[in-house]
Amino acid sequence: MQVDFAGIKLKNPVMPASGCFGYGKEYAKYYDLSELGAIIVKATTVSPRLGNPTPRVAEVCAGMLNSIGLANPGVDQVVKKELPWLRQFELPIIVNVAGDTVEDYCFVTEKLCQSGLVDAIELNVSCPNVEQGGMAFGVDAGVLAELTTAVKKVCSVPLIVKLSPNVSDIVQIAQAAEAAGADALSLINTLVGMKIDLMSRKPILARGVGGLSGPAIKSVAVRMVYQVYKAVKIPILGVGGITTGLDAIEFIMAGATAVSVGTANFTDPYACPRIIKEIKAYMEKEGIKDLSEIRGCAHVLS
Amino acid sequence: MLLHVSENKEVAKGIWEMHLSGDFPFENVQPGQFIHILIGSGREHVLRRPISIAAIEAEKETLVIVFRVVGEGTDWLAKRVEGDVLDVLGPLGTGFPLTTKQKILIVGGGIGVPPLYELIKRLWQQGNEIYCLLGFRNSDDVFWVEKFKEYGTVTTYTDDGSFGEKGLVTQRIAEDFLEKNWSNVYACGPVPMLKELKGIVANFSVEGYFSLEERMACGVGACYGCVCNNQRVCVEGPVFPMREVVL
Repeated sequence: MQVDFAGIKLKNPVMPASGCFGYGKEYAKYYDLSELGAIIVKATTVSPRLGNPTPRVAEVCAGMLNSIGLANPGVDQVVKKELPWLRQFELPIIVNVAGDTVEDYCFVTEKLCQSGLVDAIELNVSCPNVEQGGMAFGVDAGVLAELTTAVKKVCSVPLIVKLSPNVSDIVQIAQAAEAAGADALSLINTLVGMKIDLMSRKPILARGVGGLSGPAIKSVAVRMVYQVYKAVKIPILGVGGITTGLDAIEFIMAGATAVSVGTANFTDPYACPRIIKEIKAYMEKEGIKDLSEIRGCAHVLS
Repeated sequence: MLLHVSENKEVAKGIWEMHLSGDFPFENVQPGQFIHILIGSGREHVLRRPISIAAIEAEKETLVIVFRVVGEGTDWLAKRVEGDVLDVLGPLGTGFPLTTKQKILIVGGGIGVPPLYELIKRLWQQGNEIYCLLGFRNSDDVFWVEKFKEYGTVTTYTDDGSFGEKGLVTQRIAEDFLEKNWSNVYACGPVPMLKELKGIVANFSVEGYFSLEERMACGVGACYGCVCNNQRVCVEGPVFPMREVVL
């Protein structure tokens, strides 16, 4: 079950996805977080953010829309309160970083790295729920390369870039991030969606649009991991609609080194440990000793 | 945890009363807390449905919920029959703080009425004097009024006067307050009702608690989907001190 992800040793390839697990406290009531391969905590910004007006969530068929808007207490609080608490568990801590400007991203990354409490940074260039920054950095290869280069200079831990699926050519974006120094890629963030309430005849979400996640996006995510795996050399963290161990295996066959689990935590608070067990059961049943045996195996010419 | 349905019946138009039994920390439930119910396998409906606990019958190891069918999830719940099993998280959230030997006003509107039932029962057990106002759209929507009457003086309102008084639950509170001199107010119902109530009781010295509703995802405080005034409705709420509630 062990994997090496961009130099980080993971006891298993499963980690909760950013924004779906807070800072771990809530789910620590349900199980020992040390069971996880790693944790990716909520997007962190320079200053505290309250997020968007409610409603911020809506269910759609086999998925959900969210427009939380990066609500978080700001990097100082995260370093002072949240990360030291998380350190009691034996697991790598990855912090998702967001901002409005290149300077914001660099500032937060530097503070996190200086704290010595993080094992990797996940660059959020794909949040569809903010007016500035967020996805704007992830849909243009040139802009993304510039940001990645700048952050890489101040980042003393592995840098993972989380890509947006809301682009016409994911391969071009992925290659731009790799060329600019990304140590790994996270694919995919949410797809932009909308749900209209037939009673009010208006969008349900206060902000109109939100990010679609859950089983509904899994096949899009698998396809993007598959495409990008062929085009880059850096490892991929597969994310998008993973609900079972078999879903995770599908991502690994497409080329993912590790996976993260988002919406499934809401459906089942025990989703991550269950998925870990299901992967293990699959490996035993298929006689797989190391996940590298099946990584990328879906590629005809690999 | 898994609870089985011991009863499920329609008590008013589109409003269902479901009894759930099994291994649940019944003794620890505060009135106003909720359970978070998985719909089907969770593959199609990825979000659980938060439903407030309406009554606890600890001796029967049963809890009762009352819900309105508003969409696919609650429609699925309405179709459950005796013996069906539900995957439930809970009890979740922060409920109503109790008090003793006070003069209490309880105000409920529509599907906001159910969580107030376990509350009125407990407040009655603690020796409070309770006055209760319940509002419904019309006589088709009315439920549980008789049950509330066991624990206090109840006045019922409907928008069209087809049951009880005609009008809004809030319409006489201001004048009655002078006479009844309530010390505590508890409420759950539509936002316009809570807004009106908050405005009225602001003129009096009273301790108030409102239970709020918000679209929810995780139900355990991780996602920040359901916030009100930067507080999580699923953890710090759904019951908030009235003065902290921004409507």
